Amino acid sequence: MSAALPHPEIKRYSGVLDWLTTIDHKKIGLMYFWFVLVMGIIGGAMAGLIRWQLVMPDAVIENIQAAHLEGRSLRTFFSDYHLYNQIVTMHASVMIFFTIIPGFVAFANYIVPLMIGARDMAFPKMNAFGFWLLIPSAILMFASFFVQGGAAASGWTAYPPLSLAGAGSNPGQDMWIMGVHLAGVSSILAAINFIVTIANMRAPGMTWMRLPLFAWATFFVSIIMLVATPVLAAAVTMVLMDRNFGTSFTVASQGGDPVLYQHIFWVYSHPAVYIMILPGFGAISHVFAAFSQKRIFGYVGMVWALGLITGMGFMVWAHHMFTVGMPVWAQAYFMYASLLIGVPTGIKVFSWLATMWGGTIRFTAAMKFACGFISTFVIGGFGGLILALVAQDYSLQDTYFVVGHFHMVLVGGSVMLLFAMTYYWWPKMSGRMLNERLGTWVFWLMFIGVMLTFMTMHVSGVMGMARRVPVYYADFKLLNHITTGGYALTMLSSLLFAYDLVVSYFRPKVTENDPWKVNDVQQSFEWATSCPPPVYNFEQVPPIPVVDRAL
Amino acid sequence: MIRLPLALLALFALVLAAPASEVTVPATSTVDTYVQRFNPDFLALDGKRAVTGVEHTPIFDFTPGNAATDVAKDVAHNTWFSVLVFLPFLILPQVLLLVVIFRFRDRGDGRKPATFTHHLKLEIIWTAIPVLALVVVAVPAWTLLTKMDHPPLSNEARQDPKQCTVVSVYGRQFFWEYRYNHEGSEIGLDAAQSQEPLVLAKDRVTELHLTSKDVNHAWWIPAFAVKKDCIAGRSTFTWFRPVKTGAFKGQCVELCGRDHGLMVIYCVVVDAQDYDLYHVLQSYRSAATKVVNALHPADGSTPAEAEVTAAVTAYLAKHDDAMGRFAARYWTASTLASLERKRQGNLTQEQFRSTIAAACRQRLDSLLAAAPAAQAASAAAVL
Repeated sequence: MSAALPHPEIKRYSGVLDWLTTIDHKKIGLMYFWFVLVMGIIGGAMAGLIRWQLVMPDAVIENIQAAHLEGRSLRTFFSDYHLYNQIVTMHASVMIFFTIIPGFVAFANYIVPLMIGARDMAFPKMNAFGFWLLIPSAILMFASFFVQGGAAASGWTAYPPLSLAGAGSNPGQDMWIMGVHLAGVSSILAAINFIVTIANMRAPGMTWMRLPLFAWATFFVSIIMLVATPVLAAAVTMVLMDRNFGTSFTVASQGGDPVLYQHIFWVYSHPAVYIMILPGFGAISHVFAAFSQKRIFGYVGMVWALGLITGMGFMVWAHHMFTVGMPVWAQAYFMYASLLIGVPTGIKVFSWLATMWGGTIRFTAAMKFACGFISTFVIGGFGGLILALVAQDYSLQDTYFVVGHFHMVLVGGSVMLLFAMTYYWWPKMSGRMLNERLGTWVFWLMFIGVMLTFMTMHVSGVMGMARRVPVYYADFKLLNHITTGGYALTMLSSLLFAYDLVVSYFRPKVTENDPWKVNDVQQSFEWATSCPPPVYNFEQVPPIPVVDRAL
Repeated sequence: MIRLPLALLALFALVLAAPASEVTVPATSTVDTYVQRFNPDFLALDGKRAVTGVEHTPIFDFTPGNAATDVAKDVAHNTWFSVLVFLPFLILPQVLLLVVIFRFRDRGDGRKPATFTHHLKLEIIWTAIPVLALVVVAVPAWTLLTKMDHPPLSNEARQDPKQCTVVSVYGRQFFWEYRYNHEGSEIGLDAAQSQEPLVLAKDRVTELHLTSKDVNHAWWIPAFAVKKDCIAGRSTFTWFRPVKTGAFKGQCVELCGRDHGLMVIYCVVVDAQDYDLYHVLQSYRSAATKVVNALHPADGSTPAEAEVTAAVTAYLAKHDDAMGRFAARYWTASTLASLERKRQGNLTQEQFRSTIAAACRQRLDSLLAAAPAAQAASAAAVL
């Protein structure tokens, strides 16, 4: 039987050349994974520089004034706040464009074809091209530190007129825009590939309503990436044109409008928030089911919730700009629409809890991260509800409350999800188990670190600390010291995790197809093949276990 | 059509009936008090080198009774209400999570996991109840939003400086310029290039019309619970009514470049009477600046006696009344104070008060005392 199946890839090289030329979705997925790990550590180190500045004695405005009076030099980490702004901008850009978005693409690349019983992605060469685009994109962004004027320093939002400043003499901003373009093209190519793969390459018997939730989430997220990313390209192109070719899309003195840019930017960047969390929502359902030894609760509701979040995610962008001075009715609409997104999100949280309810729960490292994720994500979501209220947002907009909120859902959410997914799927991807005992340390350091770092940010924001500042009033000193302490725990946890991944290659290989013994509660194929799978994934796609989905 | 003339007539009558602005001239010895009151010494240090002179932290106080503006009071009330409605959705998942973790963990006793996969009623409940909570929160949120974003006074009342302070706010890299629309006076950086505080009247509706002269900025004082972006080519609006006197701190909250973090906002809320005095003092400012410049040349050289005398003479020729003399003292003291503070700051607040400000006042006082004679002499020379 197997002899009749053609090999999808003819192996031409070995070693490094094989990796450079591969079009195998698994190898590309692994390359995405290692790229993301390196970028995550670099982005984390940049966060460390920011935290370091914020615990220096002269990060306090009152101390700076006293220093001026005494005529002494400042005790700060960044002597040049322009460099601080560059680090703030690049921390965000690296974490968003090179860590969290490609982090989920890494897993989608590796796991989704296996889940749906496909031999590869629909367009393997385009898949490889999408990954390799990230390399020049990252080079452009990092190289911009070394050009005249330094890297982009206008925040990852790149609001004009600040992002137009110094046009012609600081190519860093232009390099940032080109980097975003390349990363955007990479996203779009990946999105097209996932949509076509999931729509056309499912194994016989895997109907849409039998599709694993991670594949559903990847499908929805691909729609977001396909529709929204070109909008980001349009926004940053307006800035590029205004900077270099004399147009005036955003130049108020020439009839343009800086607020137009903000609208177009957030039409992408709010849905992008869901690009950074929805795949994890899908994947974590499998983790809960696997280690509760119980099927996913409310599958149909979960699919609808994913779809609703996808659709509504496009209609709430202006809640990022309530203070910009919009008509009252527009603010009210965006407030109510934003609040409504809490409803499908609530459905998902309650369904995860119901999945665990009555199960026989094994607390592996993956399950610890999954449970910790619920705790941190609910806190982050609660902050989101408060921020959606316009009157409260007037006080909280652009403060550390916002910083705490989105880090709570990105680190406490997306990053913890990525860790959980890694613990769960790493045996499949590398053929090696990760160290469960070390995993317990990684989890508790991360969980406590996240709570310390980002809960204190919420508090300092409510008290009145502005975001993106290298200095603050003395009232926030203690809180900032605790935040930096929490950061140290989070970073330590990430480094232990990276260490465990590297040393896992020296451990014995997994011999079973399904080392977690979870396939009887999953409705997918990834545990039905060896660890790691052969190049062709399956000799023969096994029959899908049919589950009664009737409501 | 009859309404407009009637309204104008009523307004005219109001203006006639309103008592004329009565600002009593404070005693000369209180100059320091007013320097402190209108320009509180944010840089003054006490004996332990801790910062003094700031009455209020930049903290937004969620106790409605402590609110600094009426808007902040409403926001504090509404925040507690919304948080209480939403709180179950924060607590319940955490509690359920703990229950699940402790109740359903695998104890190795061979318990078989349950097999249910859906429960329609439960799913409807956890969809419907959050929607209900949102509706409960949505109604007062709308009321508060419309209150915060609409001018609270009629158009006639907004024209009356006794009822409404209208300030145009201009964001600059990296300081603020304010223009009091009724009084026509402008403030920005002081002589030492430090941000001057915005002075407002207690219990008077304050409207801010904000824009930017370069990149985007955002004006925010946490205790006031208002924040608005300043955007080039656009005018944004916000309002509040201060209900507490004191000094308030804030800072720019839209990334605006290198010194974004140092783009501070100071605001001083004073009684209506002091506020009026402040604007009377402002009306003498440009004239008084000439005296101050003569006393303290920008290049730091020793002032020429002839120039100083000439400047004082010219000033007194126009403003030789009690308020004029007080204003000259005030502006000299406040300008020299900020310059001295910048130049040789190693002083406690007491030292600062007693030495620097007193010394410059003394000097000006002798000049002012000598002035009538000089004026008479120059008049004689002309004759």
